[in-house]
Amino acid sequence: MSSDVSNDPFSRLHREDTRTATAASPPMDVDYRGTQGPLFWLALRTALLTLITLGFYRFWAKTRIRKYFWSATAPGGDPMEYTGNGLEKLLGFLIAVAFLAIYLGLFQVLLSFVGLSVFSGGDGPESQVLQVALGQATLLAVIPFIFYAQYRARRYILSRTRWRGVRFGVDAAAWGYVWRALVHWFITIISLGLLLPRQTFWLEKYKIDRTWYGNTKFVQGGKWTSLYPAMKHYFIAAGLIVVPSLLAWTTEQPVWLFFAFIGGVWFYYAFAYYAVESFRILADQKRLGERVGFITGPRASKVFWTYILGALLASTCAGLVFSAFSVVASNFMGLTTFGLLAEGEKLFNPENMSIGFYIGGALFVIGYLAMLLSYGVFGMIFVSQPVLEHYVETTQILNPEALDDIQQRSRDEMVEAEGFADALDVGAAI
Amino acid sequence: MDINAPAQGKYFDGKSARQLPVNVHMDTRHDTRVLVIQPAESAEIIWPLEELREVREQARDEGIVLSLGQDGIARLILLHGAAEDLIRKTAPKLGKVVVKKSKLRQLAFWAGGAVASVALIMFVILPALSNQLATMIPVEREAAIGQTAMTQIHKFLGGSDEKDLTCSNPDGVLALQKMTARMLGDTEVPYDLQVKVFKHKMINAFAVPGGNVVLFEGLLDAARSPEEVAGVLGHEIGHVMNRDPMRLTLRSAGSVGILGMVFGDFAGGFMALVLTEKLISAQYAQGAESDADEFAHELMADAKLPAASFAEFFRTLKDKHGGQSGLMSHLASHPDLDGRANAAVAADVVGDANYEPVLTPFEWRALQNICD
Repeated sequence: MSSDVSNDPFSRLHREDTRTATAASPPMDVDYRGTQGPLFWLALRTALLTLITLGFYRFWAKTRIRKYFWSATAPGGDPMEYTGNGLEKLLGFLIAVAFLAIYLGLFQVLLSFVGLSVFSGGDGPESQVLQVALGQATLLAVIPFIFYAQYRARRYILSRTRWRGVRFGVDAAAWGYVWRALVHWFITIISLGLLLPRQTFWLEKYKIDRTWYGNTKFVQGGKWTSLYPAMKHYFIAAGLIVVPSLLAWTTEQPVWLFFAFIGGVWFYYAFAYYAVESFRILADQKRLGERVGFITGPRASKVFWTYILGALLASTCAGLVFSAFSVVASNFMGLTTFGLLAEGEKLFNPENMSIGFYIGGALFVIGYLAMLLSYGVFGMIFVSQPVLEHYVETTQILNPEALDDIQQRSRDEMVEAEGFADALDVGAAI
Repeated sequence: MDINAPAQGKYFDGKSARQLPVNVHMDTRHDTRVLVIQPAESAEIIWPLEELREVREQARDEGIVLSLGQDGIARLILLHGAAEDLIRKTAPKLGKVVVKKSKLRQLAFWAGGAVASVALIMFVILPALSNQLATMIPVEREAAIGQTAMTQIHKFLGGSDEKDLTCSNPDGVLALQKMTARMLGDTEVPYDLQVKVFKHKMINAFAVPGGNVVLFEGLLDAARSPEEVAGVLGHEIGHVMNRDPMRLTLRSAGSVGILGMVFGDFAGGFMALVLTEKLISAQYAQGAESDADEFAHELMADAKLPAASFAEFFRTLKDKHGGQSGLMSHLASHPDLDGRANAAVAADVVGDANYEPVLTPFEWRALQNICD
C-alpha cells in the first residue's frame, strides 16, 4: 500500500513539495501584542497633556501612541520600533508654519476678497452655487500641498520605523507624487469613479516602488484591472440608487425611493469594502527584494462592523462622561434637572449668578472638553486598535529566511519631519 | 547573573536584519563594569553598563530592550528574569535622555521664524491688505452683501417676512430723517444710507455693509435726549464710511486659517483658537470703534451739536449695566465706557453754549414712539 503511494509520481511530487516548502520557509506570522488597558491609560495621559498645553503636546502624544502601536506589531515575534521623537516633530511643524503662514494668510484673504467681489447678493440659487464653487476653489489650491505633505509624512514615519534593528526608508520624490496624484484624481473624477482602481493601483505602485527595508526595495506587482472585484459593492450601491430612482420617476411611485435610500447607506459599506479589499489584493502582489512576499486576509465585514460598533461604543462612553459632569454642574447651578431651556431666563439673569453658578458653568465647559477628549481615547481602544490588530494578525510573510540577508540603510535626517502634514492637518490617523 | 549562568537573549546588530541568539553575562573589563554579549558564532560584544539605555514605551511588558547609548542602533532583548533585574539595579543611566544643544538651537531658531512669520502676516500684512482690498470692493457689491446680512440678522432677532421688525410710525420716521440729515450735513456718503429702527428691547445699534444702519427701540427708550441718539447714529455712520465690516471680515478670513494651523484641531487647540481669534478681533474692533467714535465727534461738531451728550449715553449704559459685564451688545463689548465718554467730552466744541437741539420735544417723543 505504501509502496503504491510512493510509486505514484503525483503523490510523491506533492509530498516532497509540501515538505520542502514547509521545511525551508514556513511563512512568518505577525503577532499583535497590544491590549486595551495600557493603551487606554497612555491615550488618556497624552490627551490630558495635550489639552492642558493648548494642543502643543500633540507632537509628543502622537509619537508615544505610535511607539505603542509599532511595538505591539511583531512580525515573527520581533516588535517593530518607532524611533521618532516629539521634539523633531515640533521642529518640523515650526519650519512648516514659518513657510505656510504667509502663503495661507495671503491666499485666504485674496480668495475671500474674490468671493466678496463676485458675490451677487440675495439668497438666490446662483449666488449659492457661486459660493460653493469658491469653497471648492480654496480646496483646489491647497490640494497639491496636501499630497506633498502626505508623501513627506509617509517618508518621515517610515524613516523612523525599524524592525530587527534595520530601518525602513522612502525615496525623496514628493513632487512626482503630487502631479501624478493630481492627474489620477482628475481622471477618476471625470470617469465618474469608474477608473478609481487605476488611480489606487498606480499611486500605490509609485509609493511602494520607492519604499525600502534596509538595502532592499519593495516592488508592487500586479495589474490595475485586478482591483475591479473590490469595486463590487460600489456598483451594487450605484445600481440600488439609479434603478429605483428611475422607477420612481417613470412609474411615479415614490415608494421606490426607499430602495434608493438603502443604496445610499450601502455606499458606506462599499467604501469600507473597497478600502479593505484593494489593500488585500495589492498587499498580496507586493514583494520585498526577489523573494519575500506577503499574504493578507483582512475581512471587510469585520473592519466595517468594528468601525460602526466601536464608534457607537466610544460615543456612548464619551456621552456618559459628559452626563457625569453635567449632573455635578447642575447641582452647583442649583438646577434639579437639565431644565436649561425652561430656566434659561432665570439662569442668565445677572442677579442669580452666584459663585456656584460660575463653578457649575466651568464644570460644563470641562465636561464638554472631557467628552471630546474621551471620544478620542475610547475611539483608540474600540476602533483603531481592533482594526490594526485585525490587519496585523491576518498578515503572513512568505520566505522570511530571505530577510536575514537584508542589510542596514543609512539614516534619512529629514529635519522638516512631517511638519507640513501637521500644519495642514492631513497626517496619518495614528 | 554571573559568569557561570549567562542569560539568553536576542541581539540585533543594526547592520543586518538577522536575529542573533546570544548569551549575556556581566563582567569587569579594564576596571569597567560591562555586559558581555556572546553570539554563537562570532566575537563577543562589550557594552559598558554606564552606556546602557532602555528603549521604553513597549506595548507589552515582557522584559527589557537595551541599546548602547541613546542613539545606538543595535538592540539587545532580554525577557523577564534575574538578568533583567540585575541590569535594572546596576546600570546607572538606563533612562537618561540627552537633548543635543544643537537641536535646541535649531528649535529656538525656527520657533523664532514661525512666530515672526505668523506675527508678520497677522499684524502687518493682513490688516494692511484687508484695508486696501476693502476699498476695492464695488459699492453695489457691498450693498448686496449688506442686504443678505440684514436679512439674516432680521431673522435672528425674531423677524420674518410676515413680521417685519422695522418700525414705521410716520412722525417717528420723519424725526429720524431729520436727525440723519442734521448729522450728515455736507458729508458725502457713497452709499444709499438707510436708517431704521427695529422693535427689539436690546440697547444696541448696528451697521451692515452698504449703508444700512439700525437702531433698536431699547436704545431709544434708554436714551435721555435726542443728542445721545444722534451720537450713536454718527458712530454707526462712521462704521459704514470706514467699511469696517468688510475690513474685519477679510482680516479674520485670513487669520482663522493661520490660527487653526498653529493650534491644530484638538479640544485644547480649539479653545485656544477661539480665544485668540476673539482677542485679536476685539483689538481690531476696538480700533474700529474708536475710529467710529471720532467720526461721530466730527459729525457732531460739524452739526454744532454737543459731543458731551454722546458721553452722557455711555454713562447711561454704564449705569444700566454696571460697566462692561453682562451686556451682550457690541457697544459695551468694548471696554472702558468711561474712556469713551471722556473722549467725547474732550471732543465737544459746543460746551455750555446754546445749541439748536437736533429734534424738537415733539419730534423726540415721536421718535421714541416710532414703534407704537
